Amino acid sequence: MDKRIDLLEAIRSIAVKTPMNDIEVPEKVVGFGTIEYKAQTCSACKKCILACEPGALDMDSTLNMPDYVRATVPMEGFRSKNRETLVTLLQSLKQDYNFGDVLAVSVPEGLAGYGSIDWSAEQCIACEKCIEACPENCLTLKKVYKLPEIVGEIEAVPVKRTEKDWEPFIICFVCWECSHAAADLAGLMHLSYPATIRTVRIPCSGALEPIHIMTAMAQGADGVLVTGCLLHECHYGGDSPKAGNFMQYDFVKFWSDIFEEIGIGGRLYIDFASAAMGIKFAEIVETFTEQIRKLGPSPIPVKSEVQE
Amino acid sequence: MKKLFLCTCNKTLNKWLDLERIQKEIGSTFESVKVHDALCLEEGLAFLDSEVSKDDAIVIGACTSQIIGVPLERRLKTEQVSFVPIREHVAWVHKEDKKSATNKAIILLQDGAIHVNHMEPKTAVDLQIEKKILVVGGGLAGLKVASDLVQLGVEVTLLEPPEFNKDDYVEKNQFMADSSTLKDTVNGLLATSKGAKKLNGTVTSLSGRAGLFSVIIKLDDGKEMDLLVGAIVVATHTEQSAPSLAKTSLYGKSENSVLISELATLASNKSGKTILVAQDPTYHESDAEGSYLLREVTQAAEKGNTVIVAHFNIYTKDENLYRKARESGVIFVRGTLEKVDKKKDQFVCRLENTLESQVREFTVDYIVLQPERKPWSGTRKLANTLDLNLDQSGFIKTRYSKMKPVQTSKRGIFIAGNAKTPMNLNDALASASNASLEVFKNIIAEGERKGWIPVIDEEQCDLCEACVNACPNDALRRDEDLIKHVPMNCEFCGICVSACPTRAIEFQSHKKDSWLARIEAIGANHKKLEGKKPFTLVYACSECANASIDQAGFTGKGYPTGTYVLQFPCAGMVSPIEILKGLVEGAEQVIVAHCPPGGCHHQTGDHLSELVVKFTQDMLTSIGQDPSRIKATYMIAALPNKMQEEVAHRG
Repeated sequence: MDKRIDLLEAIRSIAVKTPMNDIEVPEKVVGFGTIEYKAQTCSACKKCILACEPGALDMDSTLNMPDYVRATVPMEGFRSKNRETLVTLLQSLKQDYNFGDVLAVSVPEGLAGYGSIDWSAEQCIACEKCIEACPENCLTLKKVYKLPEIVGEIEAVPVKRTEKDWEPFIICFVCWECSHAAADLAGLMHLSYPATIRTVRIPCSGALEPIHIMTAMAQGADGVLVTGCLLHECHYGGDSPKAGNFMQYDFVKFWSDIFEEIGIGGRLYIDFASAAMGIKFAEIVETFTEQIRKLGPSPIPVKSEVQE
Repeated sequence: MKKLFLCTCNKTLNKWLDLERIQKEIGSTFESVKVHDALCLEEGLAFLDSEVSKDDAIVIGACTSQIIGVPLERRLKTEQVSFVPIREHVAWVHKEDKKSATNKAIILLQDGAIHVNHMEPKTAVDLQIEKKILVVGGGLAGLKVASDLVQLGVEVTLLEPPEFNKDDYVEKNQFMADSSTLKDTVNGLLATSKGAKKLNGTVTSLSGRAGLFSVIIKLDDGKEMDLLVGAIVVATHTEQSAPSLAKTSLYGKSENSVLISELATLASNKSGKTILVAQDPTYHESDAEGSYLLREVTQAAEKGNTVIVAHFNIYTKDENLYRKARESGVIFVRGTLEKVDKKKDQFVCRLENTLESQVREFTVDYIVLQPERKPWSGTRKLANTLDLNLDQSGFIKTRYSKMKPVQTSKRGIFIAGNAKTPMNLNDALASASNASLEVFKNIIAEGERKGWIPVIDEEQCDLCEACVNACPNDALRRDEDLIKHVPMNCEFCGICVSACPTRAIEFQSHKKDSWLARIEAIGANHKKLEGKKPFTLVYACSECANASIDQAGFTGKGYPTGTYVLQFPCAGMVSPIEILKGLVEGAEQVIVAHCPPGGCHHQTGDHLSELVVKFTQDMLTSIGQDPSRIKATYMIAALPNKMQEEVAHRG
C-alpha cells in the first residue's frame, strides 16, 4: 500500500491547482476507479469489507434511505427478497415528497442486518475483490477517478517569472528497443534537435510507472516525453492489446488528464518511433520542446535544484 | 380439507355475534363450517374426533388457544390448526356493536383460513440426549438435585469445588436454617445421593449443545477428565464477608465485635449483656438473611440480653419473626451506626435515628454485624466457562424469574439454590427439586420436542451472521460456509428471521409471505366490510402480550372493533417489513406488543422489538410519514387495561 500512498503524495506535491473534475479512466488503465454502491440491495454482510485489502471499505451504521426511495423495483435485480419488499413498501408509503428531503436513517445499536458501506476513494485500488465477494451484486466499478476527492484542496503557488535565458528541460523516457534506436539513428544521421531533452532508457514504454513521471516533474522537469515502439510493433506484446506501448498510451492519456486538472496540462506527451525513424524522433522532440516553450517553465515549486 | 369449527360457548356468543351471518359470509372459504355449543367439553372433543382427520387443516373459532388449545392439543389428529379467539378478542370486548363485532369475527376467521393454508406439520426434534447430568456444587441444593435424580434413575456426576467440606458447610450456612436441621438435612441428602459419582475439581471448558454437552473437568489431583452430559445444574454456594461497616465497628480489632453467626455462642454463655446488632445500609439483604437476623436476635433476647438492632431495612417474608422479636424485647432502632468508641470493656456507639432525625448513643458490651453474602468466589470464572449471564450482585441470572426460575441464559444449564440468591433451607430445597424436575423433563422428552423450526436456504444466505448474532439461545452457528441450526438449543422464537436481511431463514408455518398475505387480507376484508373506518393492527407476542389481550377479554375491557391482533411467536420476530406492510394495507396504526422490559421469554425480544420500531419510525420520518402511527409497547397479563389504553389512544 505504500506505493499508492507515495503516488498520492507525489500527485499532491506537483499539483498547482485544486482539481475540480473527475477523470475518466481509459479502458486499459487498471488500479484506478470508483466503486459504486447500491445501498438498497445491500444486506450488510460485510463480505466486501473482509475482502478489501487496502481497507477502503467500512461499515456505516446508517440506512441509505435516499437510495431506497429512488430505486426502481424490480429493475435493479434484488437478490434479497427482504430488501426488495422493504424498498417496495417504503416507496408505496412515500408521500409526495422532495427526494432531497429524504435523509439517511441511523441504525440502532444491537439491530443486526442493516447498514451501509462507506467507500474511501483515496484507499481504493480498484482491484474489484469486493465486487467478487459481494453476494448481492450491489457493487460495481465505474471507470472514473475521483480526483477532487482524493487530492483535496491545493494552495495556490506563486507564479514563476520566466528567466531570459530559460530553456525547457525535458525528461524523455525511451524504450530500449525501437525508440532508443531511433534516437541513436537521429544522432548517426547528424540530425539536430533541441538540446532540451535528457533521455532515460527504460526496458519498454509499458514499464514506465506514474511515480517516475511525478518524480521527474517534482524534480524540476518542465515536461515529460515518453517514446516507444510503433503501435502494434512493441517488442513485448506486438499486436496484443496488452502490449507495453498500448498500455502506456492509455496510461499517458489518463495522466495527461490528471495533469490538466492539477494545473500542469500539456506537459506530458507520448509518441512512437521505430528504429528506422531517426527523423521522426527528432521531429517529436522538436514539437514537444516547442509546446513546452509556449507553456513556459513548470509552475511546480522545485524542492531541489537539478544541476545541469 | 379446510374446515371451520365455531363454538358458541354454551349458546352465549350469539348474544354479541351474528353466527348465522358469519356462516353465510365465510362459507365459501371453507369446505365445511360446523357450529358446536361446547367444543372444550368431552362431547365437543368427541365431535371433533369424528369430524377431523389427519390431513385436515382446521380453524377453531372459539375461546383463546390458552384455554381450548390445551384439551385440543392431545385430541386433534391434525397439527394444522389455527385458533381464532372470537370470544376474548371479539365477543367479550365488542359488546356494544354486534354488527361490527360480527364483521371483525369474519375478518379474523378469514385470516385463520390463510394462516392454516401456510401451515406445515411441526418438526419433531429428534436428537440424541445424553442421559447423564453434571451437578456443579456439592452443597444442599446440589445434593438435593443429585439425590432426586439418582432416585429417578439418572446418572449423576456431582462436582464439588475444591474447598468444599461438609462440617464447614453447615457452619457457614447457618442463615439457611438452624444448625441441627441443617446437619440432619445434609446427612440425609448425603445418604440418598450415594448413587451419584462424586468428583473434586473445576470445570475448565464447555462445548456442544443442550442435550449433548462436552465438559472438561480439571480434577484436584491435576488430571483432566472429559465428560459427556445432557444437562448441567449449577448449585454453587454463597460466601460471607464482613460488611463495609466492619471498620467503623472495630471488627477484627476487638474480640467483642463479631459477625452474627457468632451471636448464638455469645448469648448462650452470657446473659444480661447489652448487644448492638448492626445492619449495613449499603447492603441489600435477601429474605433468608433478614429472617436469620430476626431469629438470632430473638434467641439472644430470650436468653436475657438487651438486644438493640440498628437496622436499615430488615427484609423477611415471615412477619411473625418480627413480631416474635418485638415480643422478646428486642429494641429496633432505624438508623446507621456512625461511630464507635471503646470505653474500657464496652463500646459507646453513636447512631443516627433516621425516623427521629436524632443522634442516639448506646453503651454496649458487644457489637454484632450482619455479614454480606456474596456468590461463591469462583462464580464469575464458572459463568465465563459455561457462558452464563450474571446479575448485578454477581449471582447467576435466571432466564425469566416468573416462568423459568431455574433456567439460565443458556439452554440446558440450570441453577438451584444459592447459586441464584441467598435462600433459606426450604426455598433452596424447593428450587433444587424444581431444577431436577426440569432436567428430568428434558431427558424423558427425547424425540418428543416439537416445533416450527427455522429453515435455512443456503442459496439465499450471504453468511452475514446476523442471525447468529441475534439468536438469544446459541441455536444458530456458523460452520464453515454454512449456517447450521441447533434444534435442541432453539426456542422457536423467530428472532433470527427478523434479523436475516435476505430471507435466507424462513420459519416453518410462519413464512414471511404468509404474514404479508395475512396482513394484506385483513386490510382488504376490512375495507370490504367496514369501508373507510380506520383500523389498527396489533402484532402481539404469543407470551405476555397475548395473555394481556386475552385478559382484556375476560375482564370485559372493551376497545374499538377495528382492532386486529396477529400473534407472533415473539415480538422480536417482527421486522420493519411487517410493520410497513400494515401501514401500506391501510392500517391507521400498528402496535407491536411485547413482554415487559427485561421479561421477554426469549431474553431479547422486548428490546429488539423496541429497536425495530424505533428504526422504522426513523424511516417513516425520513419519507415524510407520521412516525406516531407505529409504536412498541409492553403488555402483561397483570394489566388487562393495557390493550384498551393503547388502542383507545389512537387518532
